[in-house]
Amino acid sequence: MKQWPLVLLGFVAIAAWPLLTDDVFLQRLGALVLLAAISASAWNLIGGYAGQVSIGHSVYFGAGAYASLVLYTQLGWPPIAGAPVGMLVAMALAAVVGTPTFRLRGHYFSMATIAAAELARILVANWKLLGAAVGLMGPPVPRSVVDLSFISPVPYHYLFLAVLVVLLGLTWQMQRSRMGYYLAAIRGGDRAARSLGVPVLRYKLYALLLSAAFTSLAGSLYVVMVGFIDPDSALGILISVKMVIVAALGGSGTLFGPLIGAIILVPLEETTNAVFGGSGTGVTYIVYGAIIVLIARFRPGGVADLWRSITVRMARRAA
Amino acid sequence: MLLEARGIIMAFGAFRAVDGADLDVAEGEIIGLIGPNGAGKSTFFNCLAGDAQPTAGTIRFRGQDVTRATPEAHARLGMARSFQVPVTFEDMTVAQNVMVGAFLRHGHRAAARRVADEVLAFTGLDQLADTPARSLGTPGRKRLEIARALATEPQLLLLDEALAGLTPAEVRLAIALVRRIKARGITIVIVEHIMEVILSLAERAVVFHQGKVIAAGAPRAVVDDPAVVTAYLGHHMKRVRRGGVG
Repeated sequence: MKQWPLVLLGFVAIAAWPLLTDDVFLQRLGALVLLAAISASAWNLIGGYAGQVSIGHSVYFGAGAYASLVLYTQLGWPPIAGAPVGMLVAMALAAVVGTPTFRLRGHYFSMATIAAAELARILVANWKLLGAAVGLMGPPVPRSVVDLSFISPVPYHYLFLAVLVVLLGLTWQMQRSRMGYYLAAIRGGDRAARSLGVPVLRYKLYALLLSAAFTSLAGSLYVVMVGFIDPDSALGILISVKMVIVAALGGSGTLFGPLIGAIILVPLEETTNAVFGGSGTGVTYIVYGAIIVLIARFRPGGVADLWRSITVRMARRAA
Repeated sequence: MLLEARGIIMAFGAFRAVDGADLDVAEGEIIGLIGPNGAGKSTFFNCLAGDAQPTAGTIRFRGQDVTRATPEAHARLGMARSFQVPVTFEDMTVAQNVMVGAFLRHGHRAAARRVADEVLAFTGLDQLADTPARSLGTPGRKRLEIARALATEPQLLLLDEALAGLTPAEVRLAIALVRRIKARGITIVIVEHIMEVILSLAERAVVFHQGKVIAAGAPRAVVDDPAVVTAYLGHHMKRVRRGGVG
């Protein structure tokens, strides 16, 4: 890995970001980039490494978000304490969704995941305990520091950075282990993988469980920061699509692809939202659509792939 | 017997692609499955590999009933295969492809890499270890599939037209490789329609026609069997041949 110095430099820059500016918009932007990087990196485990393009990851995001707030509204727990519960719920849901859908291939799998996610959204929108269509609110004023309710986005930045580092560390380990090789084989072709003794369904499920747990954690972190959710902001299809686009833009199936994608996409999205205000949601869809078309047409490997081919070309020129 | 297939029937609706075929494979031999296109040999082959489950019949491998076992269970038991159209893992390098096979019996990366390196040297792919699999041509891909299969440390290797589409020079190299694999004590079943390959490699040939085994025995004898000649060339050609024209 000749790229380690570069990676280190990148993380130092990310860590220094909130200290370089006093602008709350920019500080908040940093935290949002990291949050998007966490959920997209979590999605990447199943969607990128294993090549099973789920467009229903909002289910797991919502599991974390709702677990955190329903435990607060019902039992008065601090929202972050709901995170482990959300992760367990998400893994249980992953087992329920994954077991039948993993028998489907390609687009059929993706469509089934959309269906499962929409079903979850509609169920939650009619479920009183979960606030139905109105949603749930977190603690209006922090009761103690454990509520992790801060006015400044800076503490969130470091919390999210820590989680991202742990997740990427785990992913790196996974990538180098038998599991990493098996997932790559599954992405290359089920039939050939099975002929080499790869238990395809089992490994897809492992990847999905890990992916769901971290996506759920991202959901919990989101509500800890934002303090409010409704069915659209926690379970809407845009949540799922965003994970796919962030990962694909940066380079799905690569370690740093989702982070790169988040660094590009989130500022773009936040700026359009700021410029167009409340009427901006429609613009987000247009931006997402345009990005899908551009990636599919010019760089299916994403920015990471573009970077690789540039470095290869430079190395060749130098030689 | 290493492998025993009894009364295998594979029906698609009313059509029987394989219609009551038997096969015995003894340890250490090379068996050729031959037959004209559509004879059912590939379907039969897929049943042996666990890729398709026969409508009726039983398959025993190393004494265990594997008729309904999954392909991954076949691999664990010691059966490996290649595909008619090679399916290499395109995003990975040649060495990484082979490591996927090696991981079956070695949980650690370093051990899997050692096995892969040994297999790459054995199959003559060591020079290409770090090239992406997607940059290989057909002969390279076919060789890589065999290497990957060998990395699972099989007792039985099933080769599905592993030599089809190769130039005569490449065929000679591939034949030499198959001989070296046999010398390692690995039993081989090879599906092929290039007669030359079967004649020079197989110790026994089994001829399929319309889903049935119509002849079995020494390749030379089988090729001259009137039933086999008819199956390949049709009745008309048989007459021509008798007349001494061919």
